[in-house]
Amino acid sequence: MDSGLYAACTALMARTDALDTIANNLANSSTSGFRERHTTFSSVLAGSGQPLGSQLNVVTNSYGLLGNSKLDLQAGSLQRTNNELDLGIDGPGFLAVQTAGGVAYTRNGSLQVSTTGQLVTQAGDPVLGETGPISIPSGASVTISSDGTITAQGAIAGKLKVVEFTPDADPQSLGSTYYTVPQKDVVASPLSQVRQGMLESSNLNPVSSVVELINAQRALEGMRHALTMIDTEIDKTAAQDIPRVS
Amino acid sequence: MIRALYTAASGMTAQQLNLDNIANNLANSSTTGFQQRRLAFSDMLYQNTVAPGSAATQQTTNATGLQVGLGVRPTTTETIQTQGDFNATGNPLDLAISGGGFFQVLLPNGQTGYTRSGSFNLNAQGAIVTADGNPLEPAITIPPTATNITIGADGTVTVTEPGTTATTQVGSIQMALFINPGGLNSVGNNIYLETTASGAPTVGTPGGAEGLGTIVQGNLEESNVSVVDQFVQMIVAQRSYESNSRVVKAADEMLQQLNQLSQ
Repeated sequence: MDSGLYAACTALMARTDALDTIANNLANSSTSGFRERHTTFSSVLAGSGQPLGSQLNVVTNSYGLLGNSKLDLQAGSLQRTNNELDLGIDGPGFLAVQTAGGVAYTRNGSLQVSTTGQLVTQAGDPVLGETGPISIPSGASVTISSDGTITAQGAIAGKLKVVEFTPDADPQSLGSTYYTVPQKDVVASPLSQVRQGMLESSNLNPVSSVVELINAQRALEGMRHALTMIDTEIDKTAAQDIPRVS
Repeated sequence: MIRALYTAASGMTAQQLNLDNIANNLANSSTTGFQQRRLAFSDMLYQNTVAPGSAATQQTTNATGLQVGLGVRPTTTETIQTQGDFNATGNPLDLAISGGGFFQVLLPNGQTGYTRSGSFNLNAQGAIVTADGNPLEPAITIPPTATNITIGADGTVTVTEPGTTATTQVGSIQMALFINPGGLNSVGNNIYLETTASGAPTVGTPGGAEGLGTIVQGNLEESNVSVVDQFVQMIVAQRSYESNSRVVKAADEMLQQLNQLSQ
């Protein structure tokens, strides 16, 4: 069969996967601290690993695959909520959270105090300070300074651990707006400032999302035309018409 | 393909719930002591098609992975514990709380309910009751002949009997404080119930060191709903719903294209 048929088929599959990612970005447009993912495509040369010889071989054996999806680390906008346990981070920093599966990082600063008095995320995991989980006295009014120092009832309850990722890190989404990177890619974030009474919205860019959506849709349409053309104009002719003539 | 349909559907369902919550906040914008709720979302699981750091060839590894998320889920509707505005009514049995505490009331089923709605009345027996007739806990009874009721910042209830200038103390209002008031269970009628998430209440006299707050007589605490904020949230919910439905349409059209392949 023609390699074009398989190339178009591969492209169809890649575009449907890209649509899934766009759908997930749009579905999370109201999730605080959410970071959208962008897909990139990569070309793959089908072959035995040996040099293909001619340029024609390269073209006919090159397939477009969905290569990877990368987290967009641009900041979302900060919204004022006036809730004293809502934190927004101005800068590239993330809050460190102790989950059952190890330390995770989040920009979702909608925090609560658990029944045991610990400062926890919405999912109930303790937020880490520089010296471990932070305890807040019952009923205390909490003040959080821009460097992350938490003051309750006139005493310092702890200092939030704000970290950022090295530029070459590839953060993985864990769900619940948690992200994880290998320990070697985590560094302190001195430039980040904590803003009390603010929440960061998702960093979804509605314009580029809709453009990506149209792009995926139209690319798929084009691939379908290519498939139909190869099927009806070339393969059908080869399989049905030529034998009939002879 | 099928993933995108369900992912977009999760977004639409979440925004529908968001609108339900906004509608309830707006409907209660004039309810005394009502605290608005905020719906929080979180992203769901991710499918890892290519793990980052997996071997690309024998010599190199993939610098980034391929992760596809599966949508959104509403996680909590937490109550926003900000102080509402005070509305001076002059009514001696209208009480507002300046601080984080709750009044305790005895519900008909014997449970203790907690409320910030301080619009109290007297029943036929002279007991201080809520608008629904639930008595304050511990119960305080005002003598039928009392002319003047004074409630202090620390909850002390004193009355003046006719013909005398001396005041008599008839009781003291106790309040409750929760370590995690966001975890209380709303049961309607401005009543909250204790849950394992809210923790057990600390009961005490208002104005103490526990942070219960003080009582302000002759005032009512308005709801803390910010109408402007809710309208903005409503627009966001509506537009987000729209963009998710756009994805459903795109996914549908792409499926249609695929179906036409076999024609």
